[in-house]
Amino acid sequence: MKRQTKNQTASETRQTPALRQETQPAVLEFNSVEELLRHDAIHTPVPPAIEHRLARALPAPPPQPAGPWWRRWFRGKRS
Amino acid sequence: MAERPDVEEPRATLEASPFADLYREHSRAIYYLALRYLGDPERAEDATQDVFLKAFRKMDQFRGESSWRTWLYRITINHCRNLLQSWHDRHVVSGVDDALWETTPSASDSPLRVLETRELGERIQEALDGLSPEYRLLLLLVADEELTYEEVGALTGQSPDAVRGKLHRARKAFTALFRKTGDEVP
Repeated sequence: MKRQTKNQTASETRQTPALRQETQPAVLEFNSVEELLRHDAIHTPVPPAIEHRLARALPAPPPQPAGPWWRRWFRGKRS
Repeated sequence: MAERPDVEEPRATLEASPFADLYREHSRAIYYLALRYLGDPERAEDATQDVFLKAFRKMDQFRGESSWRTWLYRITINHCRNLLQSWHDRHVVSGVDDALWETTPSASDSPLRVLETRELGERIQEALDGLSPEYRLLLLLVADEELTYEEVGALTGQSPDAVRGKLHRARKAFTALFRKTGDEVP
């Protein structure tokens, strides 16, 4: 039993550095303030709620014209 | 349950239109400017919506003398300035004393090495909040690669040379403040 525990501990110890490596945050280097801000801007998502709110606030666009008479006629023939 | 054909279902996304294209192309830049200039995600969300509503109503006034991005930025800056002004009446916003940064030994030319963590955005906001609104705006506009110094000058009402001069001090002030917000990776 003891040996098993020992083995387990050893394998856990072996795994630990790899796990630690995975969870460690990456080091980023920026040559200027602007570069840092650009990185921040790229990683700042626009809340989808804005588009939803805009879609509700704006008037609906006028319906699209149905197209030329011959296209409507063909569509009618097919159905 | 009776049907109500007179009530339209709320639309979840903008329908295909030139305005929808405008929103999709520029909403990230406009939201980011509002977020970091105002320093408040909720107010930035409201401001972005208001900016695009204004843009929608004024679209026929756009004469193509500037780019769409610059035109939208102008609306955003005016809107955010009005908001900041009204808050300023209620809260005292401290400005940055240039003399303080002139005497601060800050190597603003050396690269900024940071850990990619979720707190990075918070650190950036904290540093920007410590700047005057003028410096904050300059840094945010210059960071947008689509804008030239001339356009930044036009948006902030000054010459390109004045932009360059102030930018140097703004960078220095930001770097000093940013380094105070957390440990830098050696």
